[in-house]
Amino acid sequence: MNSVNPLVPQKVTLLEIAAETPEIKTLRVAGEGGAPFDFRPGQCAMLSLPPVGEALFSITSSPDCRDSLEFSIKEAGSVTRALHALSPGQELGLRGPYGNGFPVETLKGKDLLFIGGGIGLAPLRSLINYCLAHRAGYGHIDIVYGARSPADLIRRAEINKRWPAAPDTAVYLTVDAEFPEWSGHVGFVPSYVSELAFTPENRVAVTCGPPIMIKFVLKALEELKFTPDQVITTLEMRMKCGVGKCGRCNLGSKYVCKDGPVFTLAELKTLPAEY
Amino acid sequence: MIKSINKAGLDRLWERLAAAGPLYLPVKEGPAVLFRPWAEGAAAALDVTQATVSPKEIFFPRDETYLKFRREGEKLALAESGTPAGPAIAFGLRSCDLRAVELLDLVFRGQEPADALYGRRRENTMLVALACGQPDPSCFCGAFGINPADAPGADVMAWWDGDVLVMEARTARGEALFAAAGELLQESAAGSKPLAPATAEFGLPLEDLPERLKSRFYDPAWDRLYRGCLACGGCTYFCPTCHCFDVQDYGSQERGERFRCWDSCMFGRFTLMAGGHNPRPTQKERVRNRFLHKLQYFPENFGRFACVGCGRCLRSCPVNLDIVQAIRALGGETVEQR
Repeated sequence: MNSVNPLVPQKVTLLEIAAETPEIKTLRVAGEGGAPFDFRPGQCAMLSLPPVGEALFSITSSPDCRDSLEFSIKEAGSVTRALHALSPGQELGLRGPYGNGFPVETLKGKDLLFIGGGIGLAPLRSLINYCLAHRAGYGHIDIVYGARSPADLIRRAEINKRWPAAPDTAVYLTVDAEFPEWSGHVGFVPSYVSELAFTPENRVAVTCGPPIMIKFVLKALEELKFTPDQVITTLEMRMKCGVGKCGRCNLGSKYVCKDGPVFTLAELKTLPAEY
Repeated sequence: MIKSINKAGLDRLWERLAAAGPLYLPVKEGPAVLFRPWAEGAAAALDVTQATVSPKEIFFPRDETYLKFRREGEKLALAESGTPAGPAIAFGLRSCDLRAVELLDLVFRGQEPADALYGRRRENTMLVALACGQPDPSCFCGAFGINPADAPGADVMAWWDGDVLVMEARTARGEALFAAAGELLQESAAGSKPLAPATAEFGLPLEDLPERLKSRFYDPAWDRLYRGCLACGGCTYFCPTCHCFDVQDYGSQERGERFRCWDSCMFGRFTLMAGGHNPRPTQKERVRNRFLHKLQYFPENFGRFACVGCGRCLRSCPVNLDIVQAIRALGGETVEQR
């Protein structure tokens, strides 16, 4: 449906739904011609399942994947619960893309440090796979990713095999506590970042995770002498319209849906910390 | 072009104008005066200073269905729905109402993507402004440079000259109203002018206010100011520039509709996220956000205050926590400066 009303969704079909963890599933959807729109890594879209409603999610697939869109979704409320219960073949509503996305142009030539926690890897994954697909444009890539337990890590094939095997790319995994099946690093993401002692020269850090993790990651990066414009994060807020009118997701005069969700720490420091 | 009509002939004028589409007029409904489509026998309350609920609801209704769905197993059918917005007339808006429409335009039409639901109503509705002769004691439109006797943006400007309603067409659309009214309107002798009303302003410190508020986000004045707030949402309901809305689905698994409706940033669940996190967790953050939106954020985005001094929040707040209080508490000296 091509509507002049930006709130009207188009129709997509659920192609695949896969459990990542006990709480997180990845949904792959497509319209008749594949991915229903072009987008930039870090942008979001509104998935809708009447009569339960709509919710905004970051697109976790890379824009280079044109046959479908992927969303990694943690069960948290009524819409996500209903989405988790779906089977392939189900038709859904979708509208977007929304937001600014990651600054893929200004990141060119930089070393990149991705820091993710739990479901926070979802938006980062779009950018990671974009950078790997355009490998020559970007410098060394480090990925620090952690979760509460080994069972809570998402995108296992990528974090364990594909990304570590990619050229000039290193992956550092950690979990919050000891588990019998886990032989890797144990500890919180922020302290692992400090321990790994990344240098700020020509590097940009991109982070997403639970608010408490982000708070301490920002502190760790500051101690490692990253400047506020070298740190990028992507925010999550409650949204209804996605186009800067319904009034929910503002930080001061900026709307996360339209002016964000991606902000540098330098930008965030000028805005009320209501996130 | 200036024409006029005697008060006694207005019912025939309403009947004539309403034949072509909805004619919204301020009418008494219980204890309130509301803009409602004229129907035979309805008495227009043109003498009332202000409608209780602002006429923003003509363009941005309290609730509005825009999508119908049907689900059958895996299949989902989505169809746009809603009442088509044909030509309409809004008659009797005050200067403050017109300014509010101008401000809503900035949000709904002035930035991409334009809001189609608002836009089609706005484009198809002729605006007839009525000069305000007697501001209410709670009016302060003068503070925002609004002249109660002149409403820029109106297709027709009207004013009372005794028992005669004088109308000046200012746009082609306004002249079309004169053509539709035909012989019901008389040629008017030049010279009639709307009465210059008493200036309504409270001597508010608005100069450079958006700039000065930048340093007041953490001001202790907010701790005192918000305390009485009952989170009733009355201020946002009556405010002519408040535009927050919710989107909800209604229906069964098989069929239903999606609508949007007015919402309020004063409500605790407005920003509550599914996971339980709330970025504006107490009434203090909500009250602060509402006033800063009107006085700092909107000016930063659009260069205008999002307040028209209509006084509806002064009249509706059960605890006298209104925008005048906020401007006085935050607009002057900082605590440190005192």
